[in-house]
Amino acid sequence: MADNPDCRGVKQIWTIAVLTWKAAFRFRLFLVLALLLLAAVVGLPLLIKDDGTARGFTQILLTYTLSSITGLLGLSTLWLACGTLARDIEECQMQMVVVKPIGRWQIWIGKWIGLMSLNAALLLISGLSVFVILQWRAAHLPAAEQQKLRNEVLVARASARPPSLASEIAQETDRRLRAAHEKNPHLTTAEVAQLREQIRQNLLSFIQNVPPGYQQSWKIDLGYAKNFLHGQPLYLRIKFNTSDQNTSQTFPVFWQVGVPQETPLWQTEEAMSLAPDTFHEFEIPPDLFDQDGILTVTVVNPNNLALLFTTTDGIEVLYRDGSFALNFARGLGIIFCWMALLAALGLAMASFLSFPVAAFASCAALVVVFSSSTLKNAVTEGTFMTYNQETGERGSPLDPVVIPVFKGVLTIINLAKGFSPIDQLSAGRSITWLELFRAVVQIILVLGGILAALGIWAFTQRELATAQPQS
Amino acid sequence: MNSRAKKILLLLLAAVMLLGATFTQRQLNRDRESLGLTRVTPLENAPPLLAFTTVALGGFRGLIANFLWIRASELQEDDKFFEMAQLSDWITKLEPHFSAVWVFQAWNMSYNISVKFKDYPDRWRWVERGIELLRDEGLKYNPNDVLLYRELAWHFQHKMGANLDDANVYYKNEWLKEMSEVFGKGEPNLNELLHPQTPEEFQRLGILTNRFKMDPEFMEQVNEKYGPLEWRLPETHAIYWAALGLEKAREHPTKVKQEDLIQLRRVIYQSMQLSFQRGRLLADPFTKTFDTLPNLDIVQKVSDAYEQAMIDEPNMRNNIESAHRNLLINAAYFLYENDRIPEALKWYRYLGQKYPDKPLIANRPDSLPGKITLEEFALDRIAEDVSETSRDRVRAAILGQTIMSYRELILGNQQRYEGLRHLARILRATYMKKIGGGQGRIDAIGLPSDEEMEKEALQAVLDPKNEIWPYEMRAALRAALNLPPEPPPTEKPEASSTTNAPTATSR
Repeated sequence: MADNPDCRGVKQIWTIAVLTWKAAFRFRLFLVLALLLLAAVVGLPLLIKDDGTARGFTQILLTYTLSSITGLLGLSTLWLACGTLARDIEECQMQMVVVKPIGRWQIWIGKWIGLMSLNAALLLISGLSVFVILQWRAAHLPAAEQQKLRNEVLVARASARPPSLASEIAQETDRRLRAAHEKNPHLTTAEVAQLREQIRQNLLSFIQNVPPGYQQSWKIDLGYAKNFLHGQPLYLRIKFNTSDQNTSQTFPVFWQVGVPQETPLWQTEEAMSLAPDTFHEFEIPPDLFDQDGILTVTVVNPNNLALLFTTTDGIEVLYRDGSFALNFARGLGIIFCWMALLAALGLAMASFLSFPVAAFASCAALVVVFSSSTLKNAVTEGTFMTYNQETGERGSPLDPVVIPVFKGVLTIINLAKGFSPIDQLSAGRSITWLELFRAVVQIILVLGGILAALGIWAFTQRELATAQPQS
Repeated sequence: MNSRAKKILLLLLAAVMLLGATFTQRQLNRDRESLGLTRVTPLENAPPLLAFTTVALGGFRGLIANFLWIRASELQEDDKFFEMAQLSDWITKLEPHFSAVWVFQAWNMSYNISVKFKDYPDRWRWVERGIELLRDEGLKYNPNDVLLYRELAWHFQHKMGANLDDANVYYKNEWLKEMSEVFGKGEPNLNELLHPQTPEEFQRLGILTNRFKMDPEFMEQVNEKYGPLEWRLPETHAIYWAALGLEKAREHPTKVKQEDLIQLRRVIYQSMQLSFQRGRLLADPFTKTFDTLPNLDIVQKVSDAYEQAMIDEPNMRNNIESAHRNLLINAAYFLYENDRIPEALKWYRYLGQKYPDKPLIANRPDSLPGKITLEEFALDRIAEDVSETSRDRVRAAILGQTIMSYRELILGNQQRYEGLRHLARILRATYMKKIGGGQGRIDAIGLPSDEEMEKEALQAVLDPKNEIWPYEMRAALRAALNLPPEPPPTEKPEASSTTNAPTATSR
């Protein structure tokens, strides 16, 4: 087996990975990190101030502990990745390694695997601690509160929405536009565009608005999920807007779920007092959908103002999709993907830079990632300089170059940043296997792969025997 | 210029600049002191960690507070409120002397976040968070900041006391429960807290001072000056905190602006007006709920407070006069309704003296205080809500007054029982006089006799099928009127929920 070149290659990578582990233990890094992570996980619940509910406490605990773990592990990964390669080169240890029968790519990959296995172990320890703490605290709650927690936070919930009717709206918009165009064939291109938008907005308003004293129904297809939702409570998540700008105002709203004479019916006997511009979530009894899995939700507006339920987030039904344990594991999986990317970034930088410069460059890259909202604003406004909303004046002569670059950077950043496992876990929302698979592909294979290719290339090209700044 | 001369010149220049800086520094220090911007003052009552953080971070505290504030705003936009208590805590602790930060964070929790929740207990939690932030934290680090006292008082007066929030009754109930921990189940007795004798009284005093941060001696002073007040109602606490703010302002006159004092006084007289209107608590042991009645013992003090406010705020005089006139109108009517005729007459006359040219009854320009009697005025107040020629509405009003009188009877308010009964009889007599005409007209739109109407009201409340009153109340009324007892029910009805939670019904 030892003579098999493939096995020998794997063995060499493994050897480098083991050396990385040994270094981590030699420098007490593993121990220190494990202790720091455990201190964060155990200490945070004692320090944080929650909103006074078991649900709020669990949510803040999940958010703060997982964020601390991500932050601590992320920084240490970056630092370690830069240090393990750059310092080996600066201290001339790498020269001793590369004269052995081992490819430079194997050294690079070996170090990355070493870092990742280290991260996996630390993530496992800290993640398991968070999970145990959450379960332990939940088990000590009164039965009713525990049930609520397990239904709303410590659960994986999928969602279903009413059809967006986007294609129907587009078709009807075209039809009305054609009719208008036939009546007035001399419309300019700009006028046609404006008219199209007006027609679309009118149609949307017709669908989304619930006028005063009227009611509106939505039909939500639960799809295949209907087969395993019998006997299980569902949750309505709703949000509406009004023209009232008073932030402290609430509006009475009546709800009915189900169809009279066709399905079991649930309705509010008293109006719910609800604030606009806010997501509200409430439980509805099980089995209100029909045989085809269609759930009919009706809202009655007794106010003297119209209520607007947008097609995007006006009405949503949440239902149990799986256990919290698996969801939590998938969430940790996505965090692990982020660590893999940071390890690749650190190693790639260290492949051609000295340790301090590599660490600085990696941190600068992170700053760019965290500033993505600024980039997004610039792209939305079409300029990276000032934008006057009243006059519409914008601009800098550099915009034609800078904005496409920003767009490109944003696209790359969103490949990794487009996942939000901590938010999803704290909201009890399902992280699907597909999402995890997408994270592996986008973050590890695509972004990590690019960085690895660049890093390996730079490391292979690097002349290690040149004078190093280290004495 | 040689190097020696250059050095001397530079030294002289440095000395001049140093001297200039000394004068500027004095002015700067004065401005910092007067604007409350000084950071030299050590943080009072702060735990070591906070004291260290505020000193060690120096100017960077502002940056961190800004970052946290941005995060809080973003989370709030996304309807994620579970972090808000923590973020508010950090933000205020990073800027502990900046009263506007405390005020904003507390107001945000009590007003903006609370209404985002549909269930009343959730809303109450956030209102309490806002109050606690000001009372337990803000005032701890800024014990002399009148702005914080005003804001705290406003929370009691407006958020809990007013009826703008649908959950205001729930808030009042919850506050009543919390106050019961301090005052016990009966009527509040400040003496027990001023001179506690039993371990239970000491324990209640501990709750008052440690949890609610209130001083029984100052409560006594407030009671004497503005009361007697009902300490289980939110408006009384508004008066307490505003009065404490005025006291602090008196102790530190240099740090107070005149507008802040006016705001504090405004909270006091507006809350006194509320106390007058509903400052007596009537606990109903049958339905386990409470009702409020006017506090007629503080009319003089409320009126004085308004008249003082007219002097303090000359540019608001018209508005305050209007409120004062309403107070006098209500005082005369409520006193009359409660059978306190001499006092009612006194205030009715005072109303005539102060506002002689303003009509008392809507759509009747001739109803000036000097031209109609107190009795006519009181009856018109009752009839105001019911059409003068609508038999059904007048009949409903009479039955309502009669049922209310029975309720007062079983609650032990004999005087009020008599007053309401008397009013119902006068209402009928006035209506019958107005419809006039012969027997035919009386047969057509007339009302039954007083006795028949009382019997009707009695039958309505005593009939178990109507379910107007629970069995316990019916039994109490039968006992009070010496009627034969009703057989006890086989099952006790369940208490109804007072939350906003939806009720499920299924086919």
